[in-house]
Amino acid sequence: MSVMQKCVMIRRTANAIPINYYQRTWCSTKAAAPTDEFRVLNLKKKFVPPQSKKKYTKTLLLPPRETAMPVDQDWTNVWPGPKTFHPASVPLALRQGYDQKRAPPGKYGNAELMKIPNFLHLTPPAVKKHCSAIKKFCTEWPKGLETDEDFDKHFPMTIITTDYCHSSPTIKDPKARIVTIKVKLSAFDLDKHARDKMIRLVGERYDEETDILTIVTDRCPTRKQNYDYGIYVLTALYHESNTFEEWEKEKQEADMEHYIWDNNVSKKAYVALVEWPKKVSDDDVKSFSIENDLVGQKYKDAVTELLNNGEDTYTLNKYKEAVVGMLLPQNAQA
Amino acid sequence: MFADTLSKVLPCRSTYLIFSRLKHVQAARYKRSIKGNKPLTYEMAGPPHTIAHIKGWNSWNTCNMLDGLRPAETAIDDEFIRRFIIGTWHDLIASEIIIKRQHNIIRIAAITVQKISVTKMYFLIGYTEELLSYWLQCPIKLELQTVEDRSAVVFKYI
Repeated sequence: MSVMQKCVMIRRTANAIPINYYQRTWCSTKAAAPTDEFRVLNLKKKFVPPQSKKKYTKTLLLPPRETAMPVDQDWTNVWPGPKTFHPASVPLALRQGYDQKRAPPGKYGNAELMKIPNFLHLTPPAVKKHCSAIKKFCTEWPKGLETDEDFDKHFPMTIITTDYCHSSPTIKDPKARIVTIKVKLSAFDLDKHARDKMIRLVGERYDEETDILTIVTDRCPTRKQNYDYGIYVLTALYHESNTFEEWEKEKQEADMEHYIWDNNVSKKAYVALVEWPKKVSDDDVKSFSIENDLVGQKYKDAVTELLNNGEDTYTLNKYKEAVVGMLLPQNAQA
Repeated sequence: MFADTLSKVLPCRSTYLIFSRLKHVQAARYKRSIKGNKPLTYEMAGPPHTIAHIKGWNSWNTCNMLDGLRPAETAIDDEFIRRFIIGTWHDLIASEIIIKRQHNIIRIAAITVQKISVTKMYFLIGYTEELLSYWLQCPIKLELQTVEDRSAVVFKYI
């Protein structure tokens, strides 16, 4: 039965349209709408033959691709990019899963293999191919930057920022705004006073062991602002350290950051001992030099080390030796 | 029963006894059928505590990691994708729908039954990818595997 015949039959009988049949609409301007017949109300409901069920013909499927793969094929062409595992493309006898009594399930129809991320696109030949393809964009390594020392010399400042990659549609991460600036204090042109002032100003941010000053800025909403703020802080610190304020002259012996032998009573005592029986004044002490005095240098070192590094066996022994050498030179030589 | 007996035996001051082992003992476990012919896939056969031991997650993303972004939105999106695919691929999905997110790409993996013609399958793949990528505003990749019959994915009968 053709479509036309079906339509005609339906129109004439004008009864309920069975499922999957669509009434034809008359929308052409040329053909006049059929007005010769009235529609008939079918009260008796004539029998409409039931629609025969469509038979499903199974599609002929090719055998899995893996069975026809040559041994020496180029794997990077088979699996060029990241993809979910497909058993018909991978010529490996894989199994995944846990079964108490039987062997683990095979690769066909195995959802577990589709779950885990695979690296079939990152085989060593693929990586090599990729590297050789992007090699033309590489530039030569700059001359004079062979060692880490060269880097420290030419690029004393390190700026650390972090980019975050999430598996989500947003590329924004609030943590990406944090900027860390690391710089070696020795890279600055600082005198003794300025260096001391800088260390006092930065407090915890200075690491004495590595001589590195670390400034972390995260108070501004964007990375650029944080970077600018960090640089501003660094500049302000530098200039503030180099200024000598009036009140800084009031620095007492107790405010000293570490023990300086030349300013202390220890030197006075030593000078008094050396110059005995002459009476020494403060000016004598100040002008007294121990450059050619080995005993004095040893004593100075021992006292400074003892007070700066704290008391331990080594510093105490050194102090003892220095004192003995100073007070009882004949014993020290013997 | 056991708790009642125990409270009589143990001279405990509080009548409350908390058993962590009794918690959620029924969640995601399938009831045994009388005839023992209820098919279970590998995923269904493992109770929740076996995740990451003998079976993997169905959703792979970084949202639930420490300081991850959009965990709630991602969960809702995943549920929406699952429902949409189950409805669109009606009576065709034989396994769980695996949703893997990489950067802004969403990879959806599933095992389908070879019940419809190849043309229809291609249409459905394009239709699903197109609509989902329009709604979620990101590239969607549907990576399917087909099996001849549902029995191919059955792990055990209970």
